[in-house]
Amino acid sequence: MKKFFSDLYKKANTGIWPIVIALAFMVVGAVSVYQSPRSLTAFLILMATPMILYFMKMDMKVKVFIGLMLIIVILPVLGIRNIFYLEVIFQMAVFAALALGLNIVIGMAGLLDLGYVAFYAVGAYTWAIFGSKQLSLLHSIPGAAPADAPFALAPQWFWLFLFLGVGLAAMMGILLGLPVLRLRGDYLAIVTLGFGEVIRVLALNLDKPINLTNGPQGITPIQRPPLPPEGILQFLRTILTPIVGHPPTDAEFYNVMFYFIALIIIGIVILVATRLEDSRIGRAWTAIREDETAAIAMGVPLVKMKLAAFAAGASFAGAMGALYAANRTFVSPETFSFQVSIGVLTMVILGGLGSIPGVIFGASAVVLLNIQILQNFSLYLSDLRQSDKIIPIINFAWKDLSNQLDPAKYQKLVFGLILILMMIFRPSGLIPAERRQRELGEDKIEEE
Amino acid sequence: MALLQTNEVVKRFGGLVAVNKMTFSVEKGRIVSIIGPNGAGKTTFFNSLTGIYTPEEGKIEFNGQSLIGLRPDQVASAGIARTFQNIRLFGSMTVLENILVGMHVRLKQNPFDILLRSKHFNDEEKESEEQAKELMAYVGLKNVGNELAHNLPYGGQRRIEIARALAANPTLLLLDEPTAGMNPNETEEAIKLFRRIRDDKGITILMIEHDMRVVMGISEHISVMDYGEKIAEGSPKEIRSNQRVIEAYLGRGAAVAHERKQ
Amino acid sequence: MKQIAENPVYKFFLFPIGQIIVFSLGASLVLSLITVLLAYIFKFNVTDFDLVERTLLILPQVVINGLTIGFVYSTIALGYTMVYGVLEFINFSHSEIFMVGGIVGIQLMAYFEHIGVLSTMNEYLVIGLAIILAMAISGGLAVTVERVAYKPLRGAPRLVPLISAIGMSFFLQDFVRLILSLTTGEFNVILPKFGTFDEFWVIAIPAMANPLRIQIKSAIMVGVTIFMLVLLNFLVNGTKVGKAIRAVAQDRSSASLMGINVNQIISITFLIGGALGGAAGVLFALKATKLDPFSGFFPGLKAFTAAVLGGIGNLTGALLGGLVLGLLEAFSASYLGIFTNGAFGAEYKDIFAFAILIAVLIFRPSGLLGETVGQKA
Repeated sequence: MKKFFSDLYKKANTGIWPIVIALAFMVVGAVSVYQSPRSLTAFLILMATPMILYFMKMDMKVKVFIGLMLIIVILPVLGIRNIFYLEVIFQMAVFAALALGLNIVIGMAGLLDLGYVAFYAVGAYTWAIFGSKQLSLLHSIPGAAPADAPFALAPQWFWLFLFLGVGLAAMMGILLGLPVLRLRGDYLAIVTLGFGEVIRVLALNLDKPINLTNGPQGITPIQRPPLPPEGILQFLRTILTPIVGHPPTDAEFYNVMFYFIALIIIGIVILVATRLEDSRIGRAWTAIREDETAAIAMGVPLVKMKLAAFAAGASFAGAMGALYAANRTFVSPETFSFQVSIGVLTMVILGGLGSIPGVIFGASAVVLLNIQILQNFSLYLSDLRQSDKIIPIINFAWKDLSNQLDPAKYQKLVFGLILILMMIFRPSGLIPAERRQRELGEDKIEEE
Repeated sequence: MALLQTNEVVKRFGGLVAVNKMTFSVEKGRIVSIIGPNGAGKTTFFNSLTGIYTPEEGKIEFNGQSLIGLRPDQVASAGIARTFQNIRLFGSMTVLENILVGMHVRLKQNPFDILLRSKHFNDEEKESEEQAKELMAYVGLKNVGNELAHNLPYGGQRRIEIARALAANPTLLLLDEPTAGMNPNETEEAIKLFRRIRDDKGITILMIEHDMRVVMGISEHISVMDYGEKIAEGSPKEIRSNQRVIEAYLGRGAAVAHERKQ
Repeated sequence: MKQIAENPVYKFFLFPIGQIIVFSLGASLVLSLITVLLAYIFKFNVTDFDLVERTLLILPQVVINGLTIGFVYSTIALGYTMVYGVLEFINFSHSEIFMVGGIVGIQLMAYFEHIGVLSTMNEYLVIGLAIILAMAISGGLAVTVERVAYKPLRGAPRLVPLISAIGMSFFLQDFVRLILSLTTGEFNVILPKFGTFDEFWVIAIPAMANPLRIQIKSAIMVGVTIFMLVLLNFLVNGTKVGKAIRAVAQDRSSASLMGINVNQIISITFLIGGALGGAAGVLFALKATKLDPFSGFFPGLKAFTAAVLGGIGNLTGALLGGLVLGLLEAFSASYLGIFTNGAFGAEYKDIFAFAILIAVLIFRPSGLLGETVGQKA
């Protein structure tokens, strides 16, 4: 049976076939999502396309072309038709960037950081405080804000704060790292966890003595970066109206814009991560992960390199935090709980520690699981609850099922199971990291 | 002036004095060995030299620079490279990458070079890859550059470790039991390699070794440690007939027997 | 002198009790003195009332609160420190073992209430039964968790079992929530009202304005934990099993060469640690009166901090660390607000523990009393 499939895969993976399969998935997926925007199956078919592109053998140019078609044309169009998909993909991008950042810290350098969400929070609150009315409310009690308070900065400032978020988060990474990076691995885990909680508690309580974070209520509204000029929007409206069936609204344009910003950032993040990995710095990180004593004896300055890993990882989170704050126009301490840190850790572990494609896959899979599959399962259960069906053998009526049982709220269970199972059965992840193979001009002895 | 000079170095662990007043020197361009029974403090002394441990007392000078208080990476940058008693390669990195890590101290690429893939970066990477290939050939490894280090056989791993240490272009190479676990053929090869390293590259070698064929075969100077102290030093010939050394190794009875035989 | 030291009554009863008393008094005294000193320093900050006077007024009560919660932390910390001693691994899911103990205890009381016997039963018997059941279930759960999630990973790099333990912690939180939701439809469990232990003993102290008020349940908490600490001391230092545990903690492979069944000893360690956690859970529940599947997290983290504070792997250290941490928490909760004139208040008491943890790890990573296990290279 296994042989049958592997033979089949080998056959399918030669010549023109991969291109045909990729295109088929993309077209079938796109058409079925277009037809029935609510179908999960349709969306999964479409999302299989990038996987096929990644894994199957085909010309690089073709891969890039199909990939660009998918992300620049097809997804935004479908996204305007059903805004939910843009949201899913936006979240995938945000979490993929977070996971890539954490991957540098834990996957490459081997430092278990359980408070990663803190850097995300720093980025988010940086823009939240300056991009909202909060600065003029520093001396008012949360909830009692005057409605006519002015925004402190114009929305264009977002772009600067995106970079500031990166810098501040990196600085926090270094500040936290300086004292704690000398600690051994398991202590580091607990201390970073504590740091994550400290940041959350600060966000929760820094509504006094001056009201910096507005406490548990969070900060809203936060400004979004401005849309492109009206001329461009008008042009896009004329093109898109016949395709999506209605003139796109500003809200939809905002979503598409955030989708593209997220894409650009994730592109940069991937570029930075791959380039760092394949350099003196990346090699030093891996050496530290493998054997600290040997690494330092080879002249790798441990603390400096660990700080670099912390700062690099944190900076990705900072960027995504600022983006997230603008996208939601709202931040609150609840968004930055320990659970998010573990969620990102789960993505890294699921995909494969140290494996950049693996981590992106892990992030996509976990996001999909969280906001689509579990959600659908919840809907299915609530449908059952409203029906008169019973479970046959044990004679249990579905309508007696507790309302508390809402799979969408059992993310911790899912994260926990993934972590345990992966550690026991596949600690290197679903798409394990591979070392770069170089052209060394050596005669490779063929094994077969 | 000696390349490496230690003066009354003391390293304690709690009440245990692992290294006691070691005064010791290595002349430039020589092959020097430290021998002694198990637990004599040889590796501890090595670790004190390389900054893994900080000695409580004494001086260590290398090339006229004090090594006391330097971190291991700073010691490495100063020009001392080492191998480990129980091989410590970066197992899941390729052989080539292991050697590239060894070059860490002399690569100049900064984060901007790395992120922008500047000409400087590309040139340096290409050059270091070439050098790594040469080093692999130098230690007698072929077609293994892309293998993961932990997939290599034992003898091969020993060689990579030496290549990795050489990659830093050290002035002094410390080898901690470099032929342990090798068969006679491999040992023979290793001896030749050490000679070549000294002769071609002019690198001074200081090694800890148990195999007397190796020690007597290539050392120009030998120091003997027992219970953390230096009990003898001299040429191989002198050491071979030194009473205290024989006692330390074989016990008093054997020493007396040895005397009688002579 | 040596004879006294070897006398079992002294060794297993008087000595540990004496140690507990010395630690409690010593830690209370030191922290009180520091607080009073701080009160003098911050005096300028407060103009409405005399800061020193106010500080002294509530001091005895704060000490009592701190010791009460401190003993609970000590008991949980023992679970962390025992496992760390034997396996050199942070059993992250211990906080959930503790939570399960608390919930099991409350559920038993709720069951008694449900069948209508709670009000007629002796309240101490109820608590005793709840503790015993919680110890059994938490102990069993700890052993199961070890078998399922940690044992297959023995010998893997250090972070691997740690990540598995984090996963287990998350899994258990939601799994308990799932079970509670399915069986009772509600995942908050509330301690039923019974007995008289909510009442206070009021002790008038001549030199002080306010009489000392000790809640009966605080006394129960302290009494039970001291009893268990003494029992544990006997178990570890006076029995064959304890000897085996110490041997495994020293050197696992040598212990196994000496004919000790290492797997069995590890299971027993988890059993003891889990049982202690379960008992602590019930005691904590008495105080908190309401638990949910997530209530283990913070006490667990603090207990871990306590273990590190005292010196991880060191049983006496866990006791001292727990007491110090409990006191520090009580002091920060009561005085932070007063000293800073309301700018920072009790809401920072949770992160106070982390601040201490970070400080300890930076300045004295081996803890107050030193670790008994070093990192093996």
